[in-house]
Amino acid sequence: MKKKRIVLGFFVVAIIGGAWFGYSEYNRKVRDLANVRAQVTMQANELIAAFEQNEVTANAKYLDKIIAVKGIVKKVEEDERGYISFILGDEGSMSSVRCSMDSVHVKDIVHVKDGADVTIKGACTGFNADELLGSDVILNRCVIED
Amino acid sequence: MKKLFVIIAAGLVTTSSLVAQDKYFTKSGRINFMSKATLENIDANHKSVTCVLDTKTGNMQFAVLMKGFEFEKALMQEHFNENYVESHKYPKAEFRGQVVNNPEINYTKEGIYPAKVKGTLTIHGETREVETTGNVVVKSGKLQAAAEFTILLSDYKIEIPKVVKDNISNTVRITIDCSLEPLKG
Repeated sequence: MKKKRIVLGFFVVAIIGGAWFGYSEYNRKVRDLANVRAQVTMQANELIAAFEQNEVTANAKYLDKIIAVKGIVKKVEEDERGYISFILGDEGSMSSVRCSMDSVHVKDIVHVKDGADVTIKGACTGFNADELLGSDVILNRCVIED
Repeated sequence: MKKLFVIIAAGLVTTSSLVAQDKYFTKSGRINFMSKATLENIDANHKSVTCVLDTKTGNMQFAVLMKGFEFEKALMQEHFNENYVESHKYPKAEFRGQVVNNPEINYTKEGIYPAKVKGTLTIHGETREVETTGNVVVKSGKLQAAAEFTILLSDYKIEIPKVVKDNISNTVRITIDCSLEPLKG
């Protein structure tokens, strides 16, 4: 009798636990990168060079990684809906790291102006090679590193 | 002689600035995709779409990094990348095409113009012909390009796992919204 109860109790706990896990997993939000440690830290130029030399190997190495990129803000771009992108890289170069900033943390970046020396942390979504417009490594959901 | 040189130089400057103004672009275009299904809707946004439009020829090009689609739910985003579009294998989607009725659009006069666009769309390594009608709004020196069309996942060999086949639609609606600026040469 006692044994039966223990077994039953075990099943109830397992089912509740499973349901809770399933539910929270299903509703899990994409992580706020402000709370995630960067997997790689590097200069904007290094990241651009890696993709320009070999996009395939750079994709294998950096795609989906959380990268902290150090560099000079060439331009702060704001689109018509108020989303902000920081364009990092050398002033004279057409190539850049484009950081699409996380709108949740917009308060932390309003002070950043063109020419600022910053470290930006974001998820790498890839490389757009373009001779006409200049090539870009794209980082998404970016936040500023202190 | 000097005068001639000045005239030629002036001519060169004007032509080059004219040439430069033919092309419009953005690197922060938007694409939304939406798939309605019985169980739940799948909805994702992209904010870093590259688009170039040559107003002279009507040639149009889009480049989209698949990993840049943002979902509300993390699990959905992971499944989308890993199981459906396999973005590690096929990181980019691309459209190359043309505004078919390009001569009917006056890019120098403010207004709303219907634009018929035709071309090839490559997703998941598969290329298919697509055609749609959208709008080009010419306003204060910028172009607002918007369009909407549907694709079938099966056309692009994107497989829906059997277990969820009844809950996920094969039809996806794609909405494009790009604000294009003149490309300065």
